[in-house]
Amino acid sequence: MRKVQKEHINKITDYLWEIPQSFRQDMKVPARILAFETLLDDIIEDRSLNQLVNVATLPGIKKASFVMPDVHEGYGFPIGGVAATSYPHGAISPGGIGYDINCGVRLLVSQIQIEDIKPQLENLSKELYKQIPSGMGKGGQIRLTPSDMEEVLVKGAEWAIENGYGIKEDLYNIESNGKLDSADPSLVSDMAKKRGANQLGTIGSGNHFVEVDFVEEIYDKHIAEVYGLKKNQVVVLIHTGSRGLGHQVATDHIRIIMSAMSKYNIKVPDRELACVPFDSREGQNYFKAMCAAANYAWCNREVISWEVRNAWENIFGNKGGALNVLYDVAHNIAKIETHTIENTDQMVIVHRKGATRAFGPKSKELPKKYNEVGQPIIIPGSMGTCSYVLAGTSKSHETAFGSCCHGAGRRLSRRAAKKKVNAPALKEQLREKGIYVEAGSFKGIAEEAPIAYKDVNMVVETVSNSGIAKKIAKLIPVAVIKG
Amino acid sequence: MIIKYLPHTADIRMAIESKTIKGLFATAVKGMGNILKEGYCDQRNVFSKSIRITTHSLDYTSLLIDFLSDVLSLGYIENSVYCKLEIEKLSKKTIVAKAFGFHVDQFDEEIKAVTHHEANILKNKRKKWETCIVFDI
Repeated sequence: MRKVQKEHINKITDYLWEIPQSFRQDMKVPARILAFETLLDDIIEDRSLNQLVNVATLPGIKKASFVMPDVHEGYGFPIGGVAATSYPHGAISPGGIGYDINCGVRLLVSQIQIEDIKPQLENLSKELYKQIPSGMGKGGQIRLTPSDMEEVLVKGAEWAIENGYGIKEDLYNIESNGKLDSADPSLVSDMAKKRGANQLGTIGSGNHFVEVDFVEEIYDKHIAEVYGLKKNQVVVLIHTGSRGLGHQVATDHIRIIMSAMSKYNIKVPDRELACVPFDSREGQNYFKAMCAAANYAWCNREVISWEVRNAWENIFGNKGGALNVLYDVAHNIAKIETHTIENTDQMVIVHRKGATRAFGPKSKELPKKYNEVGQPIIIPGSMGTCSYVLAGTSKSHETAFGSCCHGAGRRLSRRAAKKKVNAPALKEQLREKGIYVEAGSFKGIAEEAPIAYKDVNMVVETVSNSGIAKKIAKLIPVAVIKG
Repeated sequence: MIIKYLPHTADIRMAIESKTIKGLFATAVKGMGNILKEGYCDQRNVFSKSIRITTHSLDYTSLLIDFLSDVLSLGYIENSVYCKLEIEKLSKKTIVAKAFGFHVDQFDEEIKAVTHHEANILKNKRKKWETCIVFDI
C-alpha cells in the first residue's frame, strides 16, 4: 500500500488537514489530522497516517477518522486516533482502544505552595517511590481474592473507597464516576484475573509515572478557580492503566474477534484492526469485558492516590493538607456517546486510543461544578518539560467527537533514546534543575527522556488555537517516579 | 536462526528468520525471552522451569502470535522467562510444545502484548521462513 505523502493531504484550516476518501478505494470516510504544518511534517515520517487511512475503512465509521497532534505510529489504530462508528450495528475494534485499557491520567491538587516544600522534595520523591510499587511486572500490597476481584471489576474506584483506600468525594471527579455499568466480570478470563490479582496500586513501567508538579502559569483565571488551581500550588499527576489484567482482556478478545470476523464478512487491512459489529455476541462480550478492565484501571488510580496520600502524610504530617482529585480521565477506551453528525444527534461508539475525552460546557456527563466551564483535560508532557491542564470546548464536539490530544507523543524510538541519552547524567541535570527522579532503572530514564518526545507546547498550542480545548494552567515537574 | 530488533517509535519491532517453520516458532520464543530479560536466553543452556502449552488459531501467523501471547501470559503469572522450545506437534492451526526457561524476580522489559500488527509468516527468497513481530511495551 502506498505511503501517505504531503501531496495527498488537503489543507482545511491552519490546524486541520484531510486525506480525502478518494485516496484509497476501501476508505468509507476521509481521514483528518489536527496539527500545525510543522508537526504534520514530523507526523508524515512514520506510518501513522497510513494507519489512520486504515481506520477510515472500518464498518459503520462516521464522519472521518481523526488523529490528534501528538499522534505516532501504533498497531491497528495510530496512537492519538479517534473514530466513531454507528450504534449499535457499527464496528467495535479492540485495536481502537489498545492493550492498556483505560490507561489514563488523574490530577490531585494540594493546598500547599511550592516554596513551602522545596527543602523536602527529595525526601518526598523517595517516599513516593517507597509507597508506590513501580516497575516491570511488579506486584502491589493488595492481594485480591477471587470475590474481591469480581467486585473491583464491577465497582471500579468505588471498591477502593469501600475498602478504605480512597475518599468518597473522589468519585464525583472521575470520568463516569470511576465505574462503567456494562462491566461483566464473567467475560474476563481467569488468566486476566490472575494477572491482576496483585497489581492494584502499581504504576508499571514504560511511560507510566507519578509526578509532583507546581502550577507555573495560569491562562484562564476564572476556569482555574473553578478547577481549584492557583499559581505555585503543588499538584500530583498519576499516569497508568489496567496493568496485566487489561492487557490480557485485549489479547483474549482480539483472538476471539479475529476468528469471528469471517462470520460477519468483515475484512480489514491490518489484523490489529480486527472488529465485529458492536451488537454481535463477540462485540458485546468484548465491550463488557473492556468495561470491567476500565473499572480495574479506575480502581488502580484510586489506590495509587491512597499511596500518594500516605507518602504525603509521612513527609508533611498534618501540615500537608488534603490532596483532592481535580479530575481523572481515560485516554484508551470506547464509549457510547451522542454526537451531532450531519445536523442530527446520533449515538455512536467512540474509540479513543491515546486521545482524551474533551467535553465542553453543559455536557451531561460532567460533574456539576465543571458544568459551566467544560471538562478538565490533563496533558502530561515528558519529565523535565511541562504538562498542561486544559478545558473542553463545544468546538471539540463539532470537530472530533469531543476529543483532544493526550500527551506530547513520542518522536524517538526507545532504542534511539537509549543510544542518545546518558541516563545518569540526565538524572543529575534534572536534579540541578530542581527535578528529582526516582526510577527502577537508568534504562527507564533514558527511554523516557525529554528528547524522546515531541514538544508538548506545540501540541497544546495546536489544540488551543484550533479551539478544541482551552489552555488553563501549565505545570512544571519537581519530582518524578517511574517504573 | 536470525533475530533482529528494528526501529519503532514506541514499541519493539522484531524480525526473525529460520530454516524451518518449527525453528521460526522457537526463534520467536527466544527473541521474546531476550526482551523480557535482556540477553538471558543467549547466555543460558540449562533451564529450571518447563511448561507444556497447546494453542489453536486460524493460520500459521495467528498461531505464532497467539502462542507467544500464551507463553507471555504464563510467564507473567509464574514470574518466568521462557527461552527454548520443544515442539511436539505443529500444524497450520495447532501447536503443542514444551517451553523451557527460568524464574526471574523482575523483568527487564514489560511487554503489554504480542500484536498481530505487521506479522506475516512467509518463505523469503532465500527459502527461509520469516516474519516481523511488534511487541506493545
